[in-house]
Amino acid sequence: MRLFAHVPFGVSLLAIWGLLTLIGVIVEQGKDPSFYAGAYAPPIARLIVRLDLDNIYHSAAYLGVIGLILCSMAAATFTKVIPRRIPRLNPVKIDAIPLHATVHVSGDAESARERIAAFFAARGWQVRKREFGGTEWTFADKNNWARRGVLVAHIGFVLIAAGTTIYWAKGYSGQFAVLSGQTATIPENGTTVELKRFAYRIDPVQTKAGTVYQPIDYVSDATITGRDGVAHNAIIRVNQPYDADGTLIYQATYGFAIDFRLTKDGRPVPGPDHPLKEGEGFAIDGTSRAIQYQRFVGTIDRSTGQPGADPRPNDPGIVIQAFDGDRPVGGALIPLGQPVDLGAGYKLDAARYVLYSGFQYRYDPGIPVVGIGAFVLLAGLCISFYFLPARLFVLVRDAAGGGAEVGLAATTVRGYDVFEERFAEIVEAVRRTEPVAPETEITTTPVLGGV
Amino acid sequence: MDPTRQLLDQALLEIGIAAYVTGALVLFAYFLTRRPVLRSIGMPLAILGAASQFAELGARWWMTGVWPLTNLYGSLSLFSACAVTIFVVFAYRYEMDFIGGPVLALAAIALGYATTWNEGYMPAVPALQSYWIKIHVPIVITAYASFMVAFCLSLLYLVKAAVENRYRTGSASVRGVAAGAGAAIDVPLNYAALPGFGAVRTDTPALASAAAAGDGAAQWLSGLPSLAKLDIMQYRVIAVGLPLLSLGIITGAMWAKEAWGAYWQWDPKETAALLSWIVYAAYMHLHTRPEWRGTRTSIVSVIGFASIVFCYLGVNIWISGLHSYKM
Repeated sequence: MRLFAHVPFGVSLLAIWGLLTLIGVIVEQGKDPSFYAGAYAPPIARLIVRLDLDNIYHSAAYLGVIGLILCSMAAATFTKVIPRRIPRLNPVKIDAIPLHATVHVSGDAESARERIAAFFAARGWQVRKREFGGTEWTFADKNNWARRGVLVAHIGFVLIAAGTTIYWAKGYSGQFAVLSGQTATIPENGTTVELKRFAYRIDPVQTKAGTVYQPIDYVSDATITGRDGVAHNAIIRVNQPYDADGTLIYQATYGFAIDFRLTKDGRPVPGPDHPLKEGEGFAIDGTSRAIQYQRFVGTIDRSTGQPGADPRPNDPGIVIQAFDGDRPVGGALIPLGQPVDLGAGYKLDAARYVLYSGFQYRYDPGIPVVGIGAFVLLAGLCISFYFLPARLFVLVRDAAGGGAEVGLAATTVRGYDVFEERFAEIVEAVRRTEPVAPETEITTTPVLGGV
Repeated sequence: MDPTRQLLDQALLEIGIAAYVTGALVLFAYFLTRRPVLRSIGMPLAILGAASQFAELGARWWMTGVWPLTNLYGSLSLFSACAVTIFVVFAYRYEMDFIGGPVLALAAIALGYATTWNEGYMPAVPALQSYWIKIHVPIVITAYASFMVAFCLSLLYLVKAAVENRYRTGSASVRGVAAGAGAAIDVPLNYAALPGFGAVRTDTPALASAAAAGDGAAQWLSGLPSLAKLDIMQYRVIAVGLPLLSLGIITGAMWAKEAWGAYWQWDPKETAALLSWIVYAAYMHLHTRPEWRGTRTSIVSVIGFASIVFCYLGVNIWISGLHSYKM
């Protein structure tokens, strides 16, 4: 328990968490092992796969470190933060506290004591008086409640972790693509999405570097049928998801599916029975060959025969890749509607394109908890940083040469240096409001002795 | 777009860069010589630079109707303007004028670099067409800017701590080099007698002794805020940045939920921001312990700013992900 509550231990865990996160940023996540073999030297690629660095955020090490941090926070909270009581009201040796000052004021000690107490009370300090051995002390506290800022921040962190766990336990997510005119079903809740139409807008924009084709809008016009069985019209855009019974459906991507027609010696032969999306392919019956549709080209530059810059389908084509077994045997850019010879009497025609819309969906019952946790964490940080709990010790005595001598000392939960200017302002304010003798003295002593 | 308006945009940008470069030189000179007149010239230049940058961003918005923070040029512009603004506010509140040279120099570099990404006036891609861009981006950029100011303070802390340590251990060569630098710029010998730099307390008796013995470099160093004060200044600036970074991550998560369906997708930008948050959280935890305050926390602050640069520029430029919009 003591080890877990130890601040350097917690900081060490944060350092390990940071290091693992850095690895996750640098190493691309969730790729096939062959990707790492191609991108890194063989020993590093092997290391990435064997140590689970390709899926680091869900690895045992990553989750374990977060678990240890939560344990460390809990230990620190219960052994340090919660037990930290407001210090008892005890007399101190004023001169021994690094932030101290003495102000000479007129009048007797009793009246000066009352004036000083009223001075601090009027400025929002909680003033209490205690008598020790016949000497009356005045204690003034400010922001004592803010001692709980760290506790609040830790609670926020725990709430975020709890909300995330709720999603893992009860939530779901996925993605699907629907061709215009077709319907898809979300398997987890049976919601159906019929895509009536997908539209996009891409504008040519003149920049210093030339013409750039900037996407402006993606919009799916759909009919969504949820649990109630009633079809609802939905316009789904990026940043404007549709809520179907708590499951949010998002506009994620779009593409051009291709209707392929295959012939042999001029007669149709079986090919793909539905329009293919980018990355999909089909085998040519009776051969070892297969064709993959790699990507759509909106505009073929007729002067070069290469893909042009304009992604809009002005003079469209597609890039295909032929395979013999698993072995690539060649690729080509073919215009739409112009059959290409595949050899052995086969001809492939990319007859037409059909726009499709890609959606993501997600049901996350943990979001409210995560949201509350995030704002609790933020509130805890703000309390900790901007409300400094401070205590003033005030001892008013009759001065030898007449009048009274006000001894002031200050302490805070974050040391003395952070309060130095404020203390000087307080002393200055006391000096201004009190009829004082000229020999007021403010003393501060370095407190970071080893630095 | 109307050429007159483009001219206004360009003029405001040039005023900003000129003010930063000149202000950086003047405030560096103030840092070295402590002549109050230099401060009186440098601070208005800092304010002028930041004001012209804010005006330029506002003018872009007004002229095109497109929120100006949709690309790296806009965000870097805001970054340098915010860094200078934070510096100015802290300078007036906590007498931090001495750090103006490095802050303005970095702001000028950021703005100069931003101009290399200035493609002109482009509409936002669909993912950036959200009211969240007006909330999330300024918050995050302001957090980055405050970490930049803290970074300058941390570097100064580390330099001063190292030199004080040399004095403590009696390294004559360092004194010679420092004194030589002082002589080369013809600085007055009696720094301690000059106004400004409210805190003149030194933590190292050896330094105070050397200053009292007439060592120019020691006198110059003694005129800087004490290490303890520099540490507190760093803390205060980071205490602005960390809640803002937290709020930035939270608003980013809220936006992500609206745009992509999940508040957290382990996208490189998100995780790089988390990494920075972890570093500064470690800083705050270390700072709770007096024996770790100072050199160690300053080193963590420097590492933290390196992580910010990585998150801000490195991830945008080198690593593809959901945040890889057109620059």
